[in-house]
Amino acid sequence: MLRPTLNELISGMQRTIMEALMPELTSPYAQGQAMSAIAMLTHAAAVLESAPAYDAAEVKDLRATFAALKRLDDKHFPKKSGLRSVLARATRAAAKNPPDRNAMEAAMAAFATAVALGHIDESVARHVRGYIRRNLERSRQLLGGSLPTG
Amino acid sequence: MPHAREHRVKGLKRISGGSSRETYAFDLEWSEDGETHTRPLIGRRDPTGGLLKSDREREFNVIAAMHRAGLKVPEPLFLELDAGVMDRPFFIMHRAAGQTGMGAFPAAEADSTRAKVADDFLSELARLQSLEYRECGLETLGAPKSLEDPARIQAAHWNEIYERDRLGEHYPILTAAFAWLKSNPVVSDRIVIVHGDYRSGNYLYDENGIIAMLDWEMAHLGDPMEDLGWASMMFWGREEFAGGLMEREAFYKLYEQKTGHRVDRERLFFYQVLGNAKMAVICLTGIRDFVERRTSDAVMPFLELLLPALLEDLANQLRLV
Repeated sequence: MLRPTLNELISGMQRTIMEALMPELTSPYAQGQAMSAIAMLTHAAAVLESAPAYDAAEVKDLRATFAALKRLDDKHFPKKSGLRSVLARATRAAAKNPPDRNAMEAAMAAFATAVALGHIDESVARHVRGYIRRNLERSRQLLGGSLPTG
Repeated sequence: MPHAREHRVKGLKRISGGSSRETYAFDLEWSEDGETHTRPLIGRRDPTGGLLKSDREREFNVIAAMHRAGLKVPEPLFLELDAGVMDRPFFIMHRAAGQTGMGAFPAAEADSTRAKVADDFLSELARLQSLEYRECGLETLGAPKSLEDPARIQAAHWNEIYERDRLGEHYPILTAAFAWLKSNPVVSDRIVIVHGDYRSGNYLYDENGIIAMLDWEMAHLGDPMEDLGWASMMFWGREEFAGGLMEREAFYKLYEQKTGHRVDRERLFFYQVLGNAKMAVICLTGIRDFVERRTSDAVMPFLELLLPALLEDLANQLRLV
Protein backbone atom coordinates (compact mmCIF):
# COMPACT_ATOMS: atom_id res chain seq x y z
CA MET A 1 0.00 0.00 0.00
CA LEU A 2 1.22 3.48 -0.82
CA ARG A 3 1.83 5.64 2.22
CA PRO A 4 0.60 8.12 3.15
CA THR A 5 -2.86 6.89 2.24
CA LEU A 6 -5.41 9.37 0.96
CA ASN A 7 -6.96 9.63 4.42
CA GLU A 8 -3.56 10.17 6.01
CA LEU A 9 -2.84 12.90 3.45
CA ILE A 10 -6.13 14.66 4.16
CA SER A 11 -5.59 14.43 7.88
CA GLY A 12 -2.06 15.81 7.43
CA MET A 13 -3.30 18.76 5.38
CA GLN A 14 -5.81 19.56 8.09
CA ARG A 15 -3.02 19.60 10.71
CA THR A 16 -0.92 21.84 8.45
CA ILE A 17 -3.75 24.35 8.18
CA MET A 18 -4.58 24.19 11.87
CA GLU A 19 -1.08 24.16 13.35
CA ALA A 20 1.11 25.96 10.78
CA LEU A 21 -1.25 28.40 9.02
CA MET A 22 -3.87 29.35 11.59
CA PRO A 23 -1.48 30.93 14.12
CA GLU A 24 -0.19 33.20 11.33
CA LEU A 25 -3.63 34.37 10.21
CA THR A 26 -4.77 37.59 11.85
CA SER A 27 -7.90 38.39 9.88
CA PRO A 28 -11.13 36.78 11.11
CA TYR A 29 -12.17 36.29 7.48
CA ALA A 30 -8.99 34.36 6.66
CA GLN A 31 -9.35 32.33 9.85
CA GLY A 32 -12.95 31.49 8.85
CA GLN A 33 -11.81 30.40 5.40
CA ALA A 34 -9.11 28.21 6.93
CA MET A 35 -11.63 26.57 9.25
CA SER A 36 -13.94 26.01 6.27
CA ALA A 37 -11.06 24.41 4.37
CA ILE A 38 -10.45 22.04 7.30
CA ALA A 39 -14.15 21.15 7.39
CA MET A 40 -14.13 20.70 3.61
CA LEU A 41 -11.31 18.18 3.92
CA THR A 42 -13.26 16.29 6.60
CA HIS A 43 -16.24 16.24 4.23
CA ALA A 44 -14.02 15.12 1.35
CA ALA A 45 -12.66 12.21 3.41
CA ALA A 46 -16.19 11.11 4.33
CA VAL A 47 -17.41 11.41 0.74
CA LEU A 48 -14.40 9.52 -0.62
CA GLU A 49 -15.30 6.67 1.69
CA SER A 50 -19.06 6.70 1.20
CA ALA A 51 -19.52 7.91 -2.37
CA PRO A 52 -18.79 4.60 -4.17
CA ALA A 53 -21.45 2.78 -2.13
CA TYR A 54 -23.85 5.71 -2.60
CA ASP A 55 -23.32 5.74 -6.37
CA ALA A 56 -23.71 1.96 -6.61
CA ALA A 57 -26.93 2.06 -4.57
CA GLU A 58 -28.31 4.87 -6.75
CA VAL A 59 -27.67 2.99 -9.98
CA LYS A 60 -29.06 -0.24 -8.57
CA ASP A 61 -32.22 1.49 -7.32
CA LEU A 62 -32.80 3.38 -10.57
CA ARG A 63 -32.37 0.18 -12.54
CA ALA A 64 -34.74 -1.74 -10.25
CA THR A 65 -37.34 1.04 -10.35
CA PHE A 66 -37.34 1.19 -14.14
CA ALA A 67 -37.53 -2.62 -14.30
CA ALA A 68 -40.58 -2.52 -12.02
CA LEU A 69 -42.18 0.19 -14.19
CA LYS A 70 -41.50 -1.84 -17.32
CA ARG A 71 -43.48 -4.75 -15.90
CA LEU A 72 -46.60 -2.59 -15.65
CA ASP A 73 -49.26 -2.86 -18.31
CA ASP A 74 -49.27 -0.25 -21.11
CA LYS A 75 -52.61 1.11 -19.91
CA HIS A 76 -50.79 2.82 -17.02
CA PHE A 77 -48.80 4.99 -19.44
CA PRO A 78 -51.06 7.43 -21.28
CA LYS A 79 -49.87 7.72 -24.87
CA LYS A 80 -49.63 11.50 -24.86
CA SER A 81 -47.42 11.45 -21.76
CA GLY A 82 -44.57 9.97 -23.78
CA LEU A 83 -43.47 8.02 -20.72
CA ARG A 84 -43.26 4.68 -22.52
CA SER A 85 -40.48 6.02 -24.72
CA VAL A 86 -38.84 7.68 -21.70
CA LEU A 87 -38.91 4.27 -20.02
CA ALA A 88 -37.40 2.63 -23.10
CA ARG A 89 -34.52 5.14 -23.02
CA ALA A 90 -34.02 4.54 -19.30
CA THR A 91 -33.93 0.79 -19.85
CA ARG A 92 -31.29 1.16 -22.57
CA ALA A 93 -29.26 3.47 -20.32
CA ALA A 94 -29.47 0.95 -17.49
CA ALA A 95 -28.29 -1.88 -19.76
CA LYS A 96 -25.10 -0.04 -20.78
CA ASN A 97 -21.79 -1.02 -19.30
CA PRO A 98 -21.21 1.04 -17.23
CA PRO A 99 -24.82 2.17 -16.87
CA ASP A 100 -25.58 5.70 -18.10
CA ARG A 101 -26.66 7.16 -14.79
CA ASN A 102 -27.17 10.65 -16.16
CA ALA A 103 -29.67 9.35 -18.72
CA MET A 104 -31.43 7.31 -16.04
CA GLU A 105 -31.74 10.39 -13.81
CA ALA A 106 -33.07 12.39 -16.75
CA ALA A 107 -35.74 9.71 -17.20
CA MET A 108 -36.53 9.76 -13.49
CA ALA A 109 -36.93 13.54 -13.73
CA ALA A 110 -39.60 12.99 -16.41
CA PHE A 111 -41.42 10.50 -14.18
CA ALA A 112 -41.18 12.75 -11.12
CA THR A 113 -42.62 15.59 -13.20
CA ALA A 114 -45.53 13.39 -14.26
CA VAL A 115 -46.21 12.52 -10.61
CA ALA A 116 -46.04 16.16 -9.49
CA LEU A 117 -48.45 17.19 -12.24
CA GLY A 118 -50.80 14.29 -11.56
CA HIS A 119 -50.39 12.92 -15.06
CA ILE A 120 -49.93 9.27 -14.09
CA ASP A 121 -51.91 6.83 -12.02
CA GLU A 122 -51.06 5.54 -8.60
CA SER A 123 -49.58 2.22 -9.74
CA VAL A 124 -46.81 4.12 -11.56
CA ALA A 125 -46.55 6.93 -9.01
CA ARG A 126 -45.91 4.59 -6.09
CA HIS A 127 -42.74 3.24 -7.75
CA VAL A 128 -41.51 6.77 -8.47
CA ARG A 129 -42.32 7.92 -4.93
CA GLY A 130 -40.57 4.86 -3.53
CA TYR A 131 -37.40 5.69 -5.44
CA ILE A 132 -37.50 9.37 -4.41
CA ARG A 133 -38.02 8.43 -0.76
CA ARG A 134 -35.03 6.07 -0.85
CA ASN A 135 -32.93 8.59 -2.81
CA LEU A 136 -33.60 11.28 -0.19
CA GLU A 137 -32.72 8.87 2.59
CA ARG A 138 -29.43 7.98 0.92
CA SER A 139 -28.63 11.67 0.31
CA ARG A 140 -29.34 12.47 3.95
CA GLN A 141 -27.00 9.68 5.01
CA LEU A 142 -24.25 10.90 2.68
CA LEU A 143 -24.60 14.66 3.13
CA GLY A 144 -26.61 15.07 6.31
CA GLY A 145 -29.59 17.37 6.66
CA SER A 146 -27.82 20.66 7.20
CA LEU A 147 -29.71 23.89 7.69
CA PRO A 148 -28.40 27.44 7.86
CA THR A 149 -28.63 28.24 11.53
CA GLY A 150 -27.29 31.28 13.28
CA MET B 1 -18.19 66.24 2.03
CA PRO B 2 -16.92 69.13 -0.12
CA HIS B 3 -14.62 70.50 2.60
CA ALA B 4 -13.28 67.18 3.78
CA ARG B 5 -9.54 66.67 3.54
CA GLU B 6 -6.98 63.99 4.34
CA HIS B 7 -9.19 60.93 3.98
CA ARG B 8 -7.73 57.87 5.67
CA VAL B 9 -9.00 54.27 5.58
CA LYS B 10 -8.47 52.57 8.93
CA GLY B 11 -8.94 48.99 10.09
CA LEU B 12 -9.84 47.57 6.69
CA LYS B 13 -10.86 43.91 7.03
CA ARG B 14 -12.82 41.50 4.92
CA ILE B 15 -15.83 40.05 6.68
CA SER B 16 -18.03 37.01 6.09
CA GLY B 17 -21.63 37.32 5.06
CA GLY B 18 -23.35 38.81 2.07
CA SER B 19 -22.00 35.94 -0.02
CA SER B 20 -23.05 37.53 -3.30
CA ARG B 21 -20.41 40.28 -2.83
CA GLU B 22 -17.01 40.65 -1.24
CA THR B 23 -17.74 42.62 1.92
CA TYR B 24 -15.22 44.82 3.73
CA ALA B 25 -15.55 46.74 7.00
CA PHE B 26 -13.45 49.84 7.64
CA ASP B 27 -13.47 53.25 9.26
CA LEU B 28 -13.08 56.40 7.19
CA GLU B 29 -11.27 59.18 8.97
CA TRP B 30 -11.10 62.71 7.55
CA SER B 31 -10.41 66.30 8.55
CA GLU B 32 -13.01 69.00 8.10
CA ASP B 33 -13.17 72.51 9.56
CA GLY B 34 -10.20 71.79 11.76
CA GLU B 35 -11.77 68.69 13.27
CA THR B 36 -11.16 64.99 12.77
CA HIS B 37 -14.23 62.89 11.91
CA THR B 38 -14.66 59.13 11.75
CA ARG B 39 -17.39 57.07 10.15
CA PRO B 40 -17.81 53.25 10.19
CA LEU B 41 -18.39 51.98 6.64
CA ILE B 42 -18.99 48.85 4.62
CA GLY B 43 -17.64 48.32 1.11
CA ARG B 44 -19.30 45.76 -1.13
CA ARG B 45 -17.33 44.76 -4.21
CA ASP B 46 -18.47 42.51 -7.05
CA PRO B 47 -17.13 38.99 -6.63
CA THR B 48 -15.28 36.95 -9.23
CA GLY B 49 -17.91 34.25 -8.63
CA GLY B 50 -20.44 33.35 -5.99
CA LEU B 51 -24.05 32.74 -5.22
CA LEU B 52 -25.77 35.30 -7.39
CA LYS B 53 -25.20 37.22 -10.56
CA SER B 54 -26.77 40.52 -9.69
CA ASP B 55 -26.47 44.14 -10.69
CA ARG B 56 -24.75 46.37 -8.10
CA GLU B 57 -26.27 49.58 -9.49
CA ARG B 58 -29.71 48.09 -9.10
CA GLU B 59 -28.96 47.04 -5.52
CA PHE B 60 -27.53 50.45 -4.66
CA ASN B 61 -30.54 52.26 -6.13
CA VAL B 62 -32.97 50.06 -4.22
CA ILE B 63 -31.17 50.64 -0.90
CA ALA B 64 -31.12 54.38 -1.65
CA ALA B 65 -34.87 54.34 -2.37
CA MET B 66 -35.56 52.39 0.82
CA HIS B 67 -33.41 54.81 2.81
CA ARG B 68 -35.34 57.78 1.38
CA ALA B 69 -38.60 56.04 2.25
CA GLY B 70 -37.49 55.67 5.86
CA LEU B 71 -37.05 51.91 5.99
CA LYS B 72 -34.40 50.43 8.24
CA VAL B 73 -31.50 50.03 5.83
CA PRO B 74 -27.84 51.09 5.96
CA GLU B 75 -27.39 54.54 4.43
CA PRO B 76 -25.93 54.07 0.93
CA LEU B 77 -23.17 56.57 0.24
CA PHE B 78 -21.18 55.95 -2.89
CA LEU B 79 -21.38 53.77 -6.01
CA GLU B 80 -18.44 53.19 -8.33
CA LEU B 81 -19.22 51.36 -11.56
CA ASP B 82 -15.81 51.92 -13.12
CA ALA B 83 -14.01 48.61 -12.71
CA GLY B 84 -10.71 50.39 -13.23
CA VAL B 85 -10.80 51.95 -9.76
CA MET B 86 -10.69 48.76 -7.66
CA ASP B 87 -10.66 45.96 -10.25
CA ARG B 88 -14.40 45.50 -9.98
CA PRO B 89 -17.42 47.77 -9.32
CA PHE B 90 -18.21 48.46 -5.67
CA PHE B 91 -20.33 50.58 -3.40
CA ILE B 92 -19.93 52.05 0.05
CA MET B 93 -22.59 52.29 2.73
CA HIS B 94 -22.83 53.12 6.39
CA ARG B 95 -21.83 50.30 8.75
CA ALA B 96 -24.76 49.76 11.06
CA ALA B 97 -24.23 48.24 14.48
CA GLY B 98 -25.81 44.99 15.58
CA GLN B 99 -25.39 41.32 14.97
CA THR B 100 -26.70 38.83 12.48
CA GLY B 101 -26.87 35.08 11.97
CA MET B 102 -26.64 32.71 9.04
CA GLY B 103 -30.25 31.63 8.96
CA ALA B 104 -32.85 30.94 11.63
CA PHE B 105 -32.89 33.46 14.45
CA PRO B 106 -30.50 32.10 17.10
CA ALA B 107 -32.29 29.83 19.56
CA ALA B 108 -30.04 31.06 22.37
CA GLU B 109 -31.35 34.65 22.20
CA ALA B 110 -33.67 36.03 24.89
CA ASP B 111 -37.41 35.66 24.22
CA SER B 112 -37.84 39.42 24.61
CA THR B 113 -35.29 40.07 21.84
CA ARG B 114 -36.91 37.44 19.63
CA ALA B 115 -40.34 39.05 20.10
CA LYS B 116 -39.03 42.52 19.22
CA VAL B 117 -37.17 41.27 16.17
CA ALA B 118 -40.22 39.30 14.99
CA ASP B 119 -42.44 42.36 15.35
CA ASP B 120 -39.94 44.60 13.52
CA PHE B 121 -39.45 41.97 10.84
CA LEU B 122 -43.13 42.08 9.90
CA SER B 123 -43.47 45.84 10.46
CA GLU B 124 -40.65 46.47 7.98
CA LEU B 125 -42.17 44.02 5.51
CA ALA B 126 -45.53 45.79 5.82
CA ARG B 127 -43.85 49.16 5.23
CA LEU B 128 -41.98 47.81 2.23
CA GLN B 129 -45.15 46.39 0.72
CA SER B 130 -47.04 49.64 1.32
CA LEU B 131 -44.61 51.64 -0.83
CA GLU B 132 -45.64 52.71 -4.31
CA TYR B 133 -42.74 51.69 -6.52
CA ARG B 134 -43.20 54.59 -8.97
CA GLU B 135 -43.04 57.12 -6.13
CA CYS B 136 -39.80 55.44 -5.03
CA GLY B 137 -38.35 55.80 -8.52
CA LEU B 138 -38.12 52.04 -8.91
CA GLU B 139 -39.93 51.55 -12.23
CA THR B 140 -36.48 50.51 -13.44
CA LEU B 141 -36.95 47.21 -11.61
CA GLY B 142 -39.29 46.23 -14.43
CA ALA B 143 -42.96 46.35 -13.59
CA PRO B 144 -44.91 43.20 -14.45
CA LYS B 145 -47.47 43.97 -17.17
CA SER B 146 -50.26 42.08 -15.45
CA LEU B 147 -51.07 40.43 -12.13
CA GLU B 148 -50.44 37.06 -13.79
CA ASP B 149 -46.85 38.01 -14.60
CA PRO B 150 -45.01 37.91 -11.23
CA ALA B 151 -45.41 34.15 -10.68
CA ARG B 152 -44.60 33.31 -14.30
CA ILE B 153 -41.60 35.63 -14.46
CA GLN B 154 -40.02 34.38 -11.24
CA ALA B 155 -40.61 30.69 -12.02
CA ALA B 156 -39.17 31.10 -15.53
CA HIS B 157 -36.21 33.13 -14.23
CA TRP B 158 -35.11 30.52 -11.69
CA ASN B 159 -35.79 27.65 -14.06
CA GLU B 160 -33.46 29.31 -16.55
CA ILE B 161 -30.72 29.59 -13.92
CA TYR B 162 -31.30 25.94 -12.96
CA GLU B 163 -30.77 24.88 -16.57
CA ARG B 164 -27.65 27.06 -16.75
CA ASP B 165 -26.00 25.98 -13.50
CA ARG B 166 -26.87 22.31 -13.00
CA LEU B 167 -23.57 21.24 -14.60
CA GLY B 168 -25.39 18.73 -16.80
CA GLU B 169 -26.75 16.84 -13.78
CA HIS B 170 -30.43 15.96 -13.39
CA TYR B 171 -32.23 16.62 -10.12
CA PRO B 172 -35.60 14.89 -10.59
CA ILE B 173 -37.27 16.72 -7.70
CA LEU B 174 -36.10 20.13 -8.91
CA THR B 175 -37.10 19.41 -12.50
CA ALA B 176 -40.54 18.34 -11.26
CA ALA B 177 -40.79 21.46 -9.08
CA PHE B 178 -40.17 23.82 -11.99
CA ALA B 179 -42.69 21.93 -14.14
CA TRP B 180 -45.23 22.24 -11.31
CA LEU B 181 -44.54 25.97 -10.92
CA LYS B 182 -45.04 26.48 -14.65
CA SER B 183 -48.32 24.54 -14.59
CA ASN B 184 -49.73 26.15 -11.45
CA PRO B 185 -49.06 29.90 -11.69
CA VAL B 186 -50.86 32.10 -9.20
CA VAL B 187 -52.31 35.55 -9.76
CA SER B 188 -51.18 38.38 -7.52
CA ASP B 189 -53.62 40.87 -6.01
CA ARG B 190 -51.21 43.80 -6.40
CA ILE B 191 -47.68 44.67 -7.43
CA VAL B 192 -45.25 45.59 -4.66
CA ILE B 193 -41.51 45.95 -4.13
CA VAL B 194 -40.17 42.49 -3.28
CA HIS B 195 -36.92 42.27 -1.32
CA GLY B 196 -36.21 38.84 -2.79
CA ASP B 197 -34.24 37.51 0.19
CA TYR B 198 -36.35 38.69 3.13
CA ARG B 199 -35.50 36.28 5.92
CA SER B 200 -33.79 35.73 9.22
CA GLY B 201 -30.05 36.03 8.66
CA ASN B 202 -30.46 39.12 6.48
CA TYR B 203 -30.89 41.75 9.17
CA LEU B 204 -28.81 43.35 11.88
CA TYR B 205 -30.42 43.35 15.31
CA ASP B 206 -29.85 43.99 18.97
CA GLU B 207 -31.99 43.63 22.10
CA ASN B 208 -34.25 46.47 20.88
CA GLY B 209 -35.12 44.82 17.58
CA ILE B 210 -34.03 45.14 13.96
CA ILE B 211 -31.51 47.85 13.11
CA ALA B 212 -31.20 47.31 9.36
CA MET B 213 -32.44 44.96 6.64
CA LEU B 214 -29.57 43.84 4.42
CA ASP B 215 -28.87 42.13 1.08
CA TRP B 216 -31.21 43.82 -1.38
CA GLU B 217 -29.55 42.45 -4.50
CA MET B 218 -32.52 40.29 -5.52
CA ALA B 219 -35.10 43.08 -5.15
CA HIS B 220 -37.73 43.27 -7.89
CA LEU B 221 -41.39 44.04 -8.39
CA GLY B 222 -43.88 41.28 -7.79
CA ASP B 223 -46.35 39.53 -5.53
CA PRO B 224 -46.36 40.41 -1.80
CA MET B 225 -46.74 36.71 -1.00
CA GLU B 226 -43.28 36.08 -2.44
CA ASP B 227 -41.38 37.65 0.47
CA LEU B 228 -43.78 36.18 3.02
CA GLY B 229 -43.45 32.71 1.47
CA TRP B 230 -39.65 32.95 1.40
CA ALA B 231 -39.44 34.22 4.99
CA SER B 232 -41.65 31.42 6.31
CA MET B 233 -40.05 28.52 4.44
CA MET B 234 -39.24 25.53 6.64
CA PHE B 235 -35.63 25.90 5.51
CA TRP B 236 -35.07 29.11 7.51
CA GLY B 237 -36.39 27.65 10.72
CA ARG B 238 -37.43 24.10 11.25
CA GLU B 239 -40.47 23.13 13.30
CA GLU B 240 -43.26 25.61 13.87
CA PHE B 241 -41.17 28.78 14.12
CA ALA B 242 -41.02 30.85 10.93
CA GLY B 243 -37.42 32.04 10.59
CA GLY B 244 -36.82 30.97 14.17
CA LEU B 245 -38.88 34.01 15.16
CA MET B 246 -42.48 33.12 15.78
CA GLU B 247 -44.95 30.26 15.51
CA ARG B 248 -45.96 30.09 11.85
CA GLU B 249 -49.69 30.70 12.21
CA ALA B 250 -49.11 33.60 14.61
CA PHE B 251 -46.59 34.95 12.11
CA TYR B 252 -49.22 34.97 9.34
CA LYS B 253 -51.79 36.51 11.64
CA LEU B 254 -49.40 39.30 12.64
CA TYR B 255 -48.59 39.87 8.96
CA GLU B 256 -52.30 40.35 8.28
CA GLN B 257 -52.58 42.81 11.16
CA LYS B 258 -49.54 44.80 10.05
CA THR B 259 -50.42 44.94 6.34
CA GLY B 260 -54.20 44.91 6.39
CA HIS B 261 -54.05 42.23 3.69
CA ARG B 262 -54.99 38.60 4.15
CA VAL B 263 -52.51 35.81 3.63
CA ASP B 264 -53.57 34.00 0.47
CA ARG B 265 -52.66 30.38 1.25
CA GLU B 266 -52.61 29.23 -2.37
CA ARG B 267 -50.19 31.98 -3.40
CA LEU B 268 -48.17 31.52 -0.21
CA PHE B 269 -47.77 27.80 -1.02
CA PHE B 270 -46.71 28.59 -4.59
CA TYR B 271 -44.03 30.97 -3.36
CA GLN B 272 -42.82 28.50 -0.73
CA VAL B 273 -42.36 25.90 -3.47
CA LEU B 274 -40.63 28.53 -5.61
CA GLY B 275 -38.53 29.52 -2.59
CA ASN B 276 -37.22 26.01 -2.01
CA ALA B 277 -36.48 25.58 -5.71
CA LYS B 278 -34.83 29.01 -5.87
CA MET B 279 -32.64 28.31 -2.83
CA ALA B 280 -31.59 24.96 -4.30
CA VAL B 281 -30.67 26.73 -7.55
CA ILE B 282 -28.68 29.37 -5.64
CA CYS B 283 -26.71 26.49 -4.08
CA LEU B 284 -26.10 25.02 -7.56
CA THR B 285 -24.82 28.41 -8.77
CA GLY B 286 -22.31 28.57 -5.91
CA ILE B 287 -21.22 24.99 -6.54
CA ARG B 288 -20.79 25.66 -10.26
CA ASP B 289 -18.68 28.77 -9.63
CA PHE B 290 -16.49 26.80 -7.23
CA VAL B 291 -16.13 23.85 -9.61
CA GLU B 292 -15.37 26.15 -12.55
CA ARG B 293 -12.87 28.12 -10.47
CA ARG B 294 -14.63 31.48 -10.49
CA THR B 295 -14.49 31.55 -6.71
CA SER B 296 -12.18 30.05 -4.12
CA ASP B 297 -14.56 30.79 -1.24
CA ALA B 298 -14.27 27.70 0.96
CA VAL B 299 -17.95 27.96 1.94
CA MET B 300 -19.21 27.25 -1.59
CA PRO B 301 -18.68 23.47 -1.68
CA PHE B 302 -20.69 23.15 1.55
CA LEU B 303 -23.77 24.37 -0.29
CA GLU B 304 -24.13 20.77 -1.42
CA LEU B 305 -24.93 19.89 2.19
CA LEU B 306 -27.98 22.17 2.13
CA LEU B 307 -29.57 20.39 -0.83
CA PRO B 308 -31.08 17.35 0.95
CA ALA B 309 -33.24 19.51 3.24
CA LEU B 310 -34.45 21.68 0.34
CA LEU B 311 -35.21 18.71 -1.91
CA GLU B 312 -36.99 16.93 0.91
CA ASP B 313 -39.20 19.96 1.53
CA LEU B 314 -40.00 20.15 -2.19
CA ALA B 315 -40.77 16.42 -2.34
CA ASN B 316 -43.18 16.81 0.58
CA GLN B 317 -44.83 19.89 -0.93
CA LEU B 318 -45.34 18.22 -4.31
CA ARG B 319 -46.37 14.85 -2.83
CA LEU B 320 -43.40 13.14 -4.40
CA VAL B 321 -42.86 10.96 -1.34
